[in-house]
Amino acid sequence: MKKFFALLLALVMVLSLVACGDKKTDDNQGDTNTDDQQGATTTYTNPDDIDDNMTSEDGKYEIAFVTDVGQLKDKSFNQGTFDGVKLYAANNGLSYKYYQPANGDQATDDDRYDAMKAAVDGGAKVVVCAGFMQEGALKRAAEEFSDVSFIFIDGYSLKDSNDQVLSNVAGISFKEEQCGYFAGYAVVKEGYEKLGFTGGGGGTNPACIRYGWGFAQGANDAAKELDKTVELNYSWEYGASFQASPELQTMVSGWYSNGTEIVFACGGSMFQSVAAAASAEDGKVVGVDVDQSSESDTVVTSAMKGLSDAAEWAIAKVYDNTWEEIGGTDTSLGVKENAVGLPTATWSMENFTVADYEDLFQKVLNGDVTIDNNSEMADPSTAGLSNVNVNYIGG
Amino acid sequence: MTFLIQQTLIYAVPLMIVALAGVFAERSGIINLALEGIMVFGAFIGVWFVRILQTSDAILSLKQSGNWVALQGVELLTMLVAAAFGALFSLLLSFASINLRADQTIGGTALNLMAPALVLFFIRIIANQNTLQMLTGDAASWFMIKKSTLGIDKNTDLGFFGETFVNKVYLATYVCILLFIILSILLYKTRFGLRLRACGENPQAADSLGINVYKMRYAGTTISGALAGMGGFVYALTTANCASNGDVAGFGFLALAVMIFGNWKPVNIAVSSLLFGLFKCIAASYASIDINGDGVYMLAEIGISAHLYRMLPYIVTLLVLAFTSKSSRAPKAEGIPYDKGQR
Repeated sequence: MKKFFALLLALVMVLSLVACGDKKTDDNQGDTNTDDQQGATTTYTNPDDIDDNMTSEDGKYEIAFVTDVGQLKDKSFNQGTFDGVKLYAANNGLSYKYYQPANGDQATDDDRYDAMKAAVDGGAKVVVCAGFMQEGALKRAAEEFSDVSFIFIDGYSLKDSNDQVLSNVAGISFKEEQCGYFAGYAVVKEGYEKLGFTGGGGGTNPACIRYGWGFAQGANDAAKELDKTVELNYSWEYGASFQASPELQTMVSGWYSNGTEIVFACGGSMFQSVAAAASAEDGKVVGVDVDQSSESDTVVTSAMKGLSDAAEWAIAKVYDNTWEEIGGTDTSLGVKENAVGLPTATWSMENFTVADYEDLFQKVLNGDVTIDNNSEMADPSTAGLSNVNVNYIGG
Repeated sequence: MTFLIQQTLIYAVPLMIVALAGVFAERSGIINLALEGIMVFGAFIGVWFVRILQTSDAILSLKQSGNWVALQGVELLTMLVAAAFGALFSLLLSFASINLRADQTIGGTALNLMAPALVLFFIRIIANQNTLQMLTGDAASWFMIKKSTLGIDKNTDLGFFGETFVNKVYLATYVCILLFIILSILLYKTRFGLRLRACGENPQAADSLGINVYKMRYAGTTISGALAGMGGFVYALTTANCASNGDVAGFGFLALAVMIFGNWKPVNIAVSSLLFGLFKCIAASYASIDINGDGVYMLAEIGISAHLYRMLPYIVTLLVLAFTSKSSRAPKAEGIPYDKGQR
């Protein structure tokens, strides 16, 4: 009897595995076929129409994407970048694949290097690496695979072990302080007086620091114009790995229940915790990186950077042989390239109009408004802002 | 104060119900180390079930028409489903430790290791990522009871009691508390409960009086699995925005600690999970807790490091354990496989 049970259990497990496996490959084959047919005729504009997994006929994948910490589908940084990869690949009939370094949030340089190596071994000509934390691994990989182009999103140009600039790495960063500034300025002009900022990366991620510092500056300038003082809760707590967590949700709920009206959720999956707290406490949220208004009714606007466009643009440089323009250099995209901004079509601002926004955008563009881009300013309470009381939490 | 009580309950209730799950298993003589694994599994099943329901237009229209009573029904149904699958999952443990007389600690550990792997495997198939979320909306807008859901104006003051226990709460919290009370009575005031406890103390004696020890242990572990599965979903719903990622932040192990802390007795367990929940809540939100309502955030202003607050729940647990463990007494026969032939 016992043996029979054991046999039965084993059979069930094996069969279920087989069933799942079969289904998956079927799906993929089906999708690839349709992809191939469509690839020739249609042009994709919506990245969600493109499958995340594709199967190429020769088993090689030309365009690879290595994710940052956090989910591929974080509805923010990783997903935004991958959208660009997918769009370029699908519209040009190229094969693409994403690689997630092992060990999730705890990924080491070795894990990231392994992912890059797997990408190169898989036939990649271009590897798009998202997130400044990939630096160590990228140095190693770029030196070893000198004929592969690496696009370092949120990064900078790198030098090899002999202190020579690696010409196959293109560092692409954004002027996050600008869109952070727009968001901060807009919400204060809209009428919010008690703001919050919760950022990812534990106060060490340059992009997040610039977002937050820009947000504080924008809020300050708007408050100055309105001749009032606004409150700003500022924290890097519970965001070190950019993940949602009960603690983060509790902390932000605490802010809302003490009167905070709107919180800038600056970091991938952290948005989930902030949106949940906002929804429970009838608060509002500012999204980050991509337009997150479709994720939750609580989103008023989002500080966007053109991840998808930048990835597409940089990959194109590889294929139209203009790589020299960006290889081995730092490219910083901002208002001038129209790479940062607020999504005016989907925002729910009432007092701050699109015209006001465009006016502000122009001012930043022609230099009437200068925004400090200090990537070290993790604690704006030390900056002496005149019209913002920064309540820095944690340490 | 209202905030503190609400958040404490949110942390304490999953702990409480899962610790009671542990009690049911251990009182019947089976060490259920797999609480964490079953919670992970229950959370996954619950979230998946909600996702499946959200694909149906009927459910979506319930949300749109603001039929909150029906949505609460959905929540209860999901809790039931999570409980059923939790029970099913725990059968693996009962089978191994009752029929095969395997080492219960190893069996439980195996389930703890298996659950996250299994869950992540399925999540990757379903959602092609590491986290399974609701298809649309968030937990609070779907399932939370607020003033606006009840049709009361947002600015009406319901008084301290109303603000704390009626506004911004989850029905699941109260269902768990109610279940906790009912099951505690079941364990102490009914014939079934007495027999179950007898099997955990002296199964030979119980058997000699005609109680089927195997059945009782199966019953204990299955109730345990159901409660842990449900607790897992309640955890995901109230603290994780109805998302599952193969992890319940160690709540299953904390529940084991709470159970030992509470000396395998429901009242003590309730008190200790509240205590633990309170400190967990203080740790996360010390900077915005205003105890006496005078606008001064005392805990943030006395200048103690944030790290100390984060350690607080665990330090308190250690301290209380150090003082109470002398009088703590586990069920006598727990962990020992029952063998009819043994004298």
